[in-house]
Amino acid sequence: MRYLIRRLVLFVAALLGLSLLVFVTLRILPGDVASVMAGTNATPARVAALRSQMGLDRSYPQQYADWLSGLMHGNMGVSAISGRSVSSQVGSHAAITMPLIVLSLIVALGVGVPLGCQAVLAANSRVRGVLHILAIVGGAVPALWGGLLLIMLFGRGVGLVGILPSQGFPDAGWRNPVAALASLILPAIATGLVAGGAIMRYTRACLISMEDSDAVAMAMACGMSRRQAMLGVGLRLSAAQLVSVAGLTFAQMVTGVMVVESLFNLPGLGAMLIGDVGNRDLVAVQSELFLLAAFFLLLGVLVDMLHHALDPRLGEQSEERG
Amino acid sequence: MASSRNRRGRSQETGRPTSSGQSEAIVPSADTRLSELSGDAEHPGATRLPADVGHPANTAGSRHVGPVRHLSRGGFYGRLPLHVRQGIILRGMWGRPAGRFALIVMALWLVVSAVSLVWTPYPLLHTDGDDAWASPSAAHPLGTDGVGADVLSWLMAGSRTDLAVAVLTVLVSAAIGLALTAAMVSTRRMLASASVVVVDALIAIPTVLLALLFAVPFGTSIAVVVAACGITYGLNMARILRPTAALAARSAYVEAARASGVGPWRVFVRHIVPSTFPVLAVQLSMSAGTSILAEAGLTYLGVGVPSGVPSWGHSLTTSVRLISVYPLTVLWPGLVVTLVVTALYLLGDAIRDCADPLANPELRRVEVGRSGPADRGEEAES
Repeated sequence: MRYLIRRLVLFVAALLGLSLLVFVTLRILPGDVASVMAGTNATPARVAALRSQMGLDRSYPQQYADWLSGLMHGNMGVSAISGRSVSSQVGSHAAITMPLIVLSLIVALGVGVPLGCQAVLAANSRVRGVLHILAIVGGAVPALWGGLLLIMLFGRGVGLVGILPSQGFPDAGWRNPVAALASLILPAIATGLVAGGAIMRYTRACLISMEDSDAVAMAMACGMSRRQAMLGVGLRLSAAQLVSVAGLTFAQMVTGVMVVESLFNLPGLGAMLIGDVGNRDLVAVQSELFLLAAFFLLLGVLVDMLHHALDPRLGEQSEERG
Repeated sequence: MASSRNRRGRSQETGRPTSSGQSEAIVPSADTRLSELSGDAEHPGATRLPADVGHPANTAGSRHVGPVRHLSRGGFYGRLPLHVRQGIILRGMWGRPAGRFALIVMALWLVVSAVSLVWTPYPLLHTDGDDAWASPSAAHPLGTDGVGADVLSWLMAGSRTDLAVAVLTVLVSAAIGLALTAAMVSTRRMLASASVVVVDALIAIPTVLLALLFAVPFGTSIAVVVAACGITYGLNMARILRPTAALAARSAYVEAARASGVGPWRVFVRHIVPSTFPVLAVQLSMSAGTSILAEAGLTYLGVGVPSGVPSWGHSLTTSVRLISVYPLTVLWPGLVVTLVVTALYLLGDAIRDCADPLANPELRRVEVGRSGPADRGEEAES
């Protein structure tokens, strides 16, 4: 409980620090953002209007305070280019990216954990070797390339077995769930397989370290088969570590997700961010980056909590340390 | 003590009795003998392992967090001449299929990067308008891309950019990771808990978000890629190194060093870093490999290496454009990246297995053979 409270306080502090980092980094931009955004043949009046619209005519502390209070009221600002509010923009793009991330994670765990276990438990040493190599090579494939190969294999119209859509998201969005889901399958496999390689490696390493542990020996002495003992006891004991690692893999998977989104022409968060960064849309980039980073900080908190829930020894330890 | 890991080195305890009774070695393990025999008077070898050795918490999947290493000077900074040590390590790596593969790919990478500085089959800006999307032929071994530029030339030139990215990322992430580790195991409690807090809080920030953030003021450049990768991997590394480093920091030999007046930096560099070396080697090679993947991804997203600068990410990106028409062109850059990243991952494992005297019997034999009564002296080329 104490840990939980401390972790949450830390989370809020980290959010503040993060907002400052984002704010400061975006302010070291050389040159006048407003005139860049307005274009080369804009009238000075237009530039001035844009500047006051974006709040750039105020002092930096003032701008920071305004932004923070806006964030706390749920007002993320208005994109200077599209004129839409940033929160609705993030919301509509996240409706594609978040399901994609979840699907990728399902693929990664669904492939990584069983194969990782198999890489330790398979009776045939050749199978174990092949699975080990697969894990390493799988984690070394660039997501972009993996996605391309998948398109070439399964993309409708271009692939050898053209069965799945490979470009774009249905206009109807999630109102047409089958089509929407279908358009996410290939991208999810592309990112999921790469992350799956990493998960597989970690699963394998964890299980191997359990191989000659006392706990597994005990379970086997009690009559479990090796496989039962490794999966029932060994895997449970390494679960805490695995959750930790899966959380980190998940965070690092995001680069791949954005690449694959762009490759498959999905209008997700990646497309939005790249567009706004390219346009130097300061207000939008600032809130969007902060929001996404906050999401991942929260993810870090959740993973840590899960880790603690799975490994009760940590609770005692942190109580001791105070 | 949770698990006894089956490290090759630790099973060979029975080889020889400890040479003298002076130290009260409770566990007469190879490492105790090493430090005794190398005449390390600073740290008499009481190596009772702390109760929580091998505590699996926070080791983040790395099973290489072994027991406390008692290597101090007998360890990675031993008295063996550097070339002898390197020779043994390289021979050990060469002796393993994975290590041999990694070494060959690394050597090729270096050679190609160096050659590309002075020679590529075609100048980078040379384009054959009539010969766009050519299939592999004698003139263009890997074919040409959409504007008729030679794919092989661009891949060769790209190898040096990615070499720079990987090396710089390793340096930056090692600096950040080790600095944070030093802070986390520091004896100043405030500093230690503050750094743990920082690492825990920021650990989940994705590389791509940092790259996007830096790309706004700084545009696209190698520095942005390196900074984004270096920071995120450094945080990661700190978290993974912490358990091993903390174990070493609580050990008797560090306490002895501190008591005899060795400064905190020296303690860290001399006694704590070497004990984390096996984990560090794996982490650094992962950083290098992942940074190449990140370079490819970020360049494709337009926030990595600037367009026009040859890099593997650039080659991948240009080949993507007309994928449906000429699918074969895309094969090469992807293959190169996969090959090199695989080799980097394997390299770390091989270094861990061969550069650690606890895991590499040959290295240990030479160390002992040199400074102790020579029973295996033939290895020591003095």
